[in-house]
Amino acid sequence: MLFASYYLWIAPHVLLAIFAVCLFRRGLQRQLPIFSSYVVFECIQFTALFIISRHSPFPRVTYRGVLVVGAGISSILELGVIYELANELLFSRSSMAPILRRTFRATLAVLVLGAAIGAGAFSDISFGRVTNLFQAVDFSSNLIEAGMVLALFVFARMSKVSWRNWIAGIALGLGVSACINLVSAALRAGLGKSAFVAVDITQMASFHVSVVIWLISLFLADPTPAFPDAHVKVSDLELWDQQLRRMVQR
Amino acid sequence: MTVVVVFAILGLLFLAMIIYLAKGSIVRTKDLGLLSSELRPVDVGAFCNLISGSEQEYLRQHLPPHEFRTIHRERMGAAVEYVHWAAANAAILIQLAEAARRQQDESVKQAGEKLMESALRLRLYALQLLPRLYLSMMIPAISPETAALADTYDNMGRQVTILSCLEFPTHGMASALRS
Repeated sequence: MLFASYYLWIAPHVLLAIFAVCLFRRGLQRQLPIFSSYVVFECIQFTALFIISRHSPFPRVTYRGVLVVGAGISSILELGVIYELANELLFSRSSMAPILRRTFRATLAVLVLGAAIGAGAFSDISFGRVTNLFQAVDFSSNLIEAGMVLALFVFARMSKVSWRNWIAGIALGLGVSACINLVSAALRAGLGKSAFVAVDITQMASFHVSVVIWLISLFLADPTPAFPDAHVKVSDLELWDQQLRRMVQR
Repeated sequence: MTVVVVFAILGLLFLAMIIYLAKGSIVRTKDLGLLSSELRPVDVGAFCNLISGSEQEYLRQHLPPHEFRTIHRERMGAAVEYVHWAAANAAILIQLAEAARRQQDESVKQAGEKLMESALRLRLYALQLLPRLYLSMMIPAISPETAALADTYDNMGRQVTILSCLEFPTHGMASALRS
């Protein structure tokens, strides 16, 4: 069990560091700067927590403080990443961005409300104030992230806009991790202290899965779209565009 | 405990949906030649007739209420089908536009951008229109002739007209779009 815990704590962060190196070497950080910051932050946070955990005697208060502050910053960055993905996928592609933004904000408002209800219901689930705060932040951010990622995929499906594979992989990784964490956070609240270790391991495993998804998606080649005709003329595209424009403009 | 179960189920449901939707986003047919065969023909004239306010008014005045409701439901059902086809055709054009946007040639890229914008707009219009058509199908009193709806119908009518005029090189898209 101890080995599994250490493996699930260390291995995903080692993989994340490898992922970060690949990301920066390919210059992909320019496409998703907030996500890149998130990856770097996760690596730094892990290093700090690992160093603190090696101290003897174990500085429990310092460790928890760093964990809670780190969780807060991570959650903010993750929400930033989701906005960044939405921007990459939808907002930057259409003059209908204001409508899509409004819908996205409405979804966010509903999720924040749900998170507030859940966090209220799950208050006092553990022994310390700091830990309680951590649980509330953890639960709320996971609910919001899972919901937003789902909304993003629904928008993409509705509009039939396709993602570049690595970007879809990042959204998928975030979504999978957030959903599993949401389930485990709810179970932790229901089952109490006895479930803490199992829940921690589940959450670490979910992070591991998401990092593996990110790594795989980074190496998945984007299929070069097969253009219907090697000799497609610009005039054809312009004709289609003019006609479509005429019919959608008032 | 109920809240716990609700959120746990919600999490699992979200997970299943995300995986299902992501599968569709990552693995996607890119062969536009194959996609062109998926285009559905749209009879623009018939569609315009179905959503015409004057036609609806004429039927309302000349048919008994029960018969009018039945016929109106059938007409709106047919219109829904047309809108579905228009939305599906727009989806295909979005993929065509994406392919164009990834070309090296700057002018092709720009044309692709413009096409993407228009096709996306068309698809979103179509998706907005569907619930309104269903509503009108259920409640004939809600006339499609209300200002906002009429505009959207009009837009859709023109959208479908234009779709039927599109010409797609070498893949017979234009004939597929025409009924």
